[in-house]
Amino acid sequence: MSKVVIVPCSGIGKSYGTVAREGAYVVTNDLRPDTTQLVPLSLLVLGDEQARADVSGAQAITIDGCKLACATKMVAESGGTVAHDLAVLDVYRRHRDLKPAGIAELNEGGQRLAQALAEEVVSLVDALSPNPSPTGRGEPEGGQDA
Amino acid sequence: MPDLPKKKVGIVACSGEEMAEGTVTRLAALRVLEQLRPNETVTICLPLFLAGGEGDRAFARFYPTIAIDGCDKRCAARGTEMYSGKPAASIVVTDVIQTNHLGTARRLGEAGMHAVDVVAEQVAQQVDELMGVNWDRKQGQSSKEAQPAEGLEAKIATCSCGSGIPIQKVQVDGQEVTFIALPLIFEQFHDAGKLPGDGTTAELMETVKVYNPIPDGQEATYTQAVMREYAAFCQEKN
Repeated sequence: MSKVVIVPCSGIGKSYGTVAREGAYVVTNDLRPDTTQLVPLSLLVLGDEQARADVSGAQAITIDGCKLACATKMVAESGGTVAHDLAVLDVYRRHRDLKPAGIAELNEGGQRLAQALAEEVVSLVDALSPNPSPTGRGEPEGGQDA
Repeated sequence: MPDLPKKKVGIVACSGEEMAEGTVTRLAALRVLEQLRPNETVTICLPLFLAGGEGDRAFARFYPTIAIDGCDKRCAARGTEMYSGKPAASIVVTDVIQTNHLGTARRLGEAGMHAVDVVAEQVAQQVDELMGVNWDRKQGQSSKEAQPAEGLEAKIATCSCGSGIPIQKVQVDGQEVTFIALPLIFEQFHDAGKLPGDGTTAELMETVKVYNPIPDGQEATYTQAVMREYAAFCQEKN
């Protein structure tokens, strides 16, 4: 069974893009490193063969930072199956107390929103995985990259 | 000429999520956008060229862009060229900084943050060259253009999402053709009281041709189509 592919938007103009990126790292590095794989959006834009192969043969969860939904559109265009598409703004609506600020560096609210987002993604990953891993490595921030 | 948005340089970073160099591109781009050259730059998310509209894709046909890539796959440079226009400048992090100890994609280390400084400075220099300005290091502003009043300087990255160049799709001899800036050109001619007619046609088409190549031998059909659309535009306005 292939890993669930996580594709965050690479939005650089708004805090929500950074939340998407950070949330993807929390999932793929900390919480579900064994059952998920991060695929960079820029490689999909370029049509990189390996990235397309990774996406086309797996279930994908996309995380978008704005309504243009670049990640979701790119996965679909790359022949992938978007099992779930999450919008950071929707997660924020469920956690109004976690207002994100900063792009280069998220404020505490943004970090906590990324964690909340990651937990939502993990529940979706587990539902897609036949043998969900009960716990991740639980690495602190700054752990190994995917 | 139509009153297009003020000239800015577009910064396109690869933002590669899987490698530290990708994070360097992202943070270097933000350093330029937020601190080094906030009034001269906007950013374009690379995938927006695909997911956005024609206006976003038209950006690099109007304005110079600088692509910042983390590796020699050069996703930002190639993607910009593929979907919008050839970047005016291209910087690859691995050409500038050669170390394997930048940190992780998630958290850069000291060497990684130094790489951000170096790359950002290079990008800022390229911005100055493209804008044709001399940067006054003492004043921290360009020495050519008037600067905004103190306190008004942008402090956040300006995103180009949804603010691309307006386009219009026109049927030309049975085929759909995308014209860049046509709505702005129509608006400007209409506001100037230049209504459809023989006297306006040549001038309007000259302006249209500045932004839109017209294939050899098709000038008459293009002119007919554009003037038909302009007549409809004026009728709707009146």
